Amino acid sequence: MHPAGCGIGLRAPHVTEVLERRPAVAWLEVHAENYMGGGPARRALERLRADYPVSVHGVGLSLGSAEGPAAHLERLARLVERLEPALVSEHLSWSVTGGTYLNHLLPLPYTEEALEVLCAHVTRAQERLGRRLLVENPSGYLRFRHSPIPEPEFLSALARRTGCGLLCDINNVYVTCANLGGDAAAWLDALDPSAVGEIHLAGHAVNDVDGEDAARRTILIDDHGSPVADAVWRLFEGALGRFGTIPTLIEWDTDVPPLEVLLAEAAKAQRRLDTGSDVVAA
Amino acid sequence: MSSLRELQAGFRAALLADDERGVAPDVVDDGLSASARLAVYRHHVFTTLTAALEATYPVVCRLVDRRFFGWVADQYVRVRPPAGPCLFEYGADFPEFVAAFPACAHLPWLADVARLEWAMNAALHAPDAPALEPEALRALDPPALARLTLRLDPSVTLLASRWPVDAIWRAIQAGADGVVDLEQGQARLEVRRLGDDVIYRALPAATFAFRAALAARRTLEDAVEQALDADPAFGLAGEIRALLDERVLVRPE
Repeated sequence: MHPAGCGIGLRAPHVTEVLERRPAVAWLEVHAENYMGGGPARRALERLRADYPVSVHGVGLSLGSAEGPAAHLERLARLVERLEPALVSEHLSWSVTGGTYLNHLLPLPYTEEALEVLCAHVTRAQERLGRRLLVENPSGYLRFRHSPIPEPEFLSALARRTGCGLLCDINNVYVTCANLGGDAAAWLDALDPSAVGEIHLAGHAVNDVDGEDAARRTILIDDHGSPVADAVWRLFEGALGRFGTIPTLIEWDTDVPPLEVLLAEAAKAQRRLDTGSDVVAA
Repeated sequence: MSSLRELQAGFRAALLADDERGVAPDVVDDGLSASARLAVYRHHVFTTLTAALEATYPVVCRLVDRRFFGWVADQYVRVRPPAGPCLFEYGADFPEFVAAFPACAHLPWLADVARLEWAMNAALHAPDAPALEPEALRALDPPALARLTLRLDPSVTLLASRWPVDAIWRAIQAGADGVVDLEQGQARLEVRRLGDDVIYRALPAATFAFRAALAARRTLEDAVEQALDADPAFGLAGEIRALLDERVLVRPE
């Protein structure tokens, strides 16, 4: 398991520099689907895993698809067997329908039907991987009319029924609550803290939209393209009190900045983790 | 209320075919319309898949300009959305799509440039395979050798075009003059990964025919026949040595 430290999401523009500099960062997280081929990307990761704990973060399992995660689970399992990562995570979402992969973490109605689908697929994935999976809350831009179970309760039930862990993306909580109406702190309070095994932090964009309602003229987009927002840092500080000091990650995927900027952002999270552990120790 | 399966099929139609009838009634319409909310998801799908195609086909993108490329990519995504989540595998049939795309008909060489870029992309991500050591062949007698199916490195593509696609590819690189003589004729290229780099080079006709036959998993005997058709002066011993020296052959599975 990771030390309770802050890691960074390793992105292609930084790989060479991380290989050369070996910066002091607690761990690295990679997107599983970028490493399912061979070649230089894979070789670089094989070298880095000797020096850093690695977390494999999948975006392709489509755990919430009515038709199931299909052949992709086998590829993920082979990657996990080779990399022996400290953590493996996926999303509370779906991407595949009718054999098409829609390349997005698409929203689910939070119903008993969807919960059963999720439970079956998470169980199958955990059996094939031979390990516990962490499942991440998505960013939401719409709600379904029939979606009776609140998102944190849905996630907590999934963890209870399957034994999976949860990856709490605090920026996603903030974005979802802003877009769909909801209180982010209350959302975090409703999540089963014993199941949470990892935290994600990232930036979001604030976009104008042509809405009929003046109060909803902006929509937050989870684009991972800027520093973590102040409001998200405050939620993180509050969450550490509930979840304990657990592995935390800074993600930055669009307008990827120099490595230095990403490391500075990780250091900000690390200071809060260190302070949090002092509080716990006292 | 739709079942999960129906809801997801409706979502797909909304994203890829702009047909929101199946899913919009199930979406809460508060402040922002269902349509505006679905547009957020659609925008992400199209921008990320277009970016993936741009990353795989940077030369095609530069040749036609980015806005035109974006339009072609948009049409492609609608009819050929990905079948799986590894984006480096997306776009294998983009060259065929370009070849049949009416607005590209005046650029008859464009699809072959795309084929070269796909071969380079495939080479970059191909699985690593250990090279065949010369000793493995030395042990075989001539009849066994003739029946042998040699296996090329999985990163290798043999690409033939009636257009000088290698010259076109080079002409658009930074610092090049952008001038190509299209009359210089066909290209016979071997694309592969060497270390961490993807390289391509032009092969003589017989060598190309020989290696293309091996790539198609033909027997050594068949491959030699193909090569001799291309050039009666084809010399097998030298060609085998070159394959071994260049570490193009890999151990059989």
